[in-house]
Amino acid sequence: MSLRSHKRTVDLQVITDWVTTSSRVLDLGCGRGVLLQELAQQKRTRGIGVDLEVDKISACVKRGLSAYQGDMMAFMESFDDGHFDHVICSRTLEEVDEPARVIAEALRVGRSFTIGFANHGFWKNRLDALFLGRKPRNDVYQTSWGESRPANPLTIADFEDFCRNHGYRITKRVHLRGDWKTPNRLFPNLCAGYALYELTH
Amino acid sequence: MNDAALDEFEAAHAEPGEVGVVVPQDYVSDEPFTFDCGRTIPGFTIRYETYGRLNATGTNAILVCHALSGDHHCAGIHHLTDRKVGWWNNIIGPGKALDTNHYFVACANVIGGCQGSTGPLSTDPETGRPYGINFPIVTINDMVRAQERWLRALGVTQLHAAMGGSMGGMQVLQFGITFPGFVKRMIAMATTARESAQAIAFNEVGRQAILQDPDWADGNYATGGGPKVGLAIARMMAHITYLSDASMARKFGRRTVAERPRSGAAAATVPTAGATDTESHAFDAQFEVESYLRYQGKSFINRFDANSYLYITRALDQFDLAAGSDSLEAAFAPLEARSLVVGFTSDWLFTPEQNRAIAMALLRAGKNASYAELTTDLGHDSFLLESPQLYDLVRDFLTS
Repeated sequence: MSLRSHKRTVDLQVITDWVTTSSRVLDLGCGRGVLLQELAQQKRTRGIGVDLEVDKISACVKRGLSAYQGDMMAFMESFDDGHFDHVICSRTLEEVDEPARVIAEALRVGRSFTIGFANHGFWKNRLDALFLGRKPRNDVYQTSWGESRPANPLTIADFEDFCRNHGYRITKRVHLRGDWKTPNRLFPNLCAGYALYELTH
Repeated sequence: MNDAALDEFEAAHAEPGEVGVVVPQDYVSDEPFTFDCGRTIPGFTIRYETYGRLNATGTNAILVCHALSGDHHCAGIHHLTDRKVGWWNNIIGPGKALDTNHYFVACANVIGGCQGSTGPLSTDPETGRPYGINFPIVTINDMVRAQERWLRALGVTQLHAAMGGSMGGMQVLQFGITFPGFVKRMIAMATTARESAQAIAFNEVGRQAILQDPDWADGNYATGGGPKVGLAIARMMAHITYLSDASMARKFGRRTVAERPRSGAAAATVPTAGATDTESHAFDAQFEVESYLRYQGKSFINRFDANSYLYITRALDQFDLAAGSDSLEAAFAPLEARSLVVGFTSDWLFTPEQNRAIAMALLRAGKNASYAELTTDLGHDSFLLESPQLYDLVRDFLTS
């Protein structure tokens, strides 16, 4: 199993554990629908995926999932408060415009908001920046600058500050080491490569 | 294919992937049919074509619904020398997205039409003359109800899918609502849940061109006659709304008729309205795009009835799925089908926003629905044109 798909598996399993059975799920940046399909199979969820790329939508359609091609903000705006039990944003928030607005909107249409992100404060990223003077490139950030998508990276410290300032309650949190598998408890902002949170109001 | 002799021909001659020679058929219903407007006719005829074979349980049928000026002929050819294939030939056939090795594909000319189905051209049994504008007002729902009767008669017990673009997409959505248990999948593309003011406006200009033509004669023109100028103008204008600025720029630019190569078949098939060196006139077709539109208008009058055009555009204008419900989402509540809605970025007649609104309403109503938006610069007609991306999407949806 490649490192990338291995990482995907741990990520998937943590989120799947958090999702309640038979719930309504919205997956922002759903990609090819791997998570939504997993949730449908393991938790019998009714899910909708949103993504910008037609190929991703096509892959979701093939899996029999509901998928919407378009802007996630415009999508959420047409739903009532609390329509979804879970809104999930796994490795997407780094690429959206105005993440604060996306999170606020996700917490309006969803009873809970699950987010997974690579921790930019991970020590290897810090060393890359410090010693090489370059955009970090390692297990966490695998692409060079030229092939990267526009990103607005965040750290565990940034995110927890953000939640505190906005009054969002962190109901669940998991920090994983650089292998993206082993739980990490000590100095997460320095030592964790990947972070998963569940928020409520 | 419904004829054993033709099957033999197909095996011997047809190109791989083609449905080959097809024969249109007529379904005649002797049961009275009551339109949404309340008027009843004693029966009706539906002209249709089918491709592939219906399975024993009658569950592998895909209904294809045609657009405003379309007809029942959506795949194959009518005779060996026929150079014009059905309007959706690129998506229907053995191994194509609508794979006739697996599915029984059926397409009918709508009620109110003029290509063999009962419409204003048909004889009114009460008067012995064509109905003309005494034909009952037709709605999209009427088209759908007539098609359901025909499909049941064919032995279809459940539609694997209903599929169509533009007005065809309207029928698909209406089908899912009117006959929820009958439709398992819906594919609606380049369509809308309610005709927009802009689309109504375009239709009105087309209707006025017909109504103001003296040859319209209050709708009582003789068969073969009628408001040909008005109908051609209506078609020319409508045709512009099916294209896009970019596609017209690419196809014609500002090229003039005079620049066109003199020889070749293309020059012969496109009339130039008398623009020659010897007798030119300032308002003869000067640009290629003018010549093209004139050709479109002219060929349309040979195959379409002006009164049918009035009736069908009226059906489009009145289409509003949410009317009678609190919302579009409420209108979709009875729906059981899974849906795929497809919008095209350059479609300015039934915009991506209108297609998106359909998908959003389906999703809010808790239905299994997907929305895909294909990037094209070909305008509204994009759904008819070659698009591997669209074919994959449709194929995956049909098999999922």
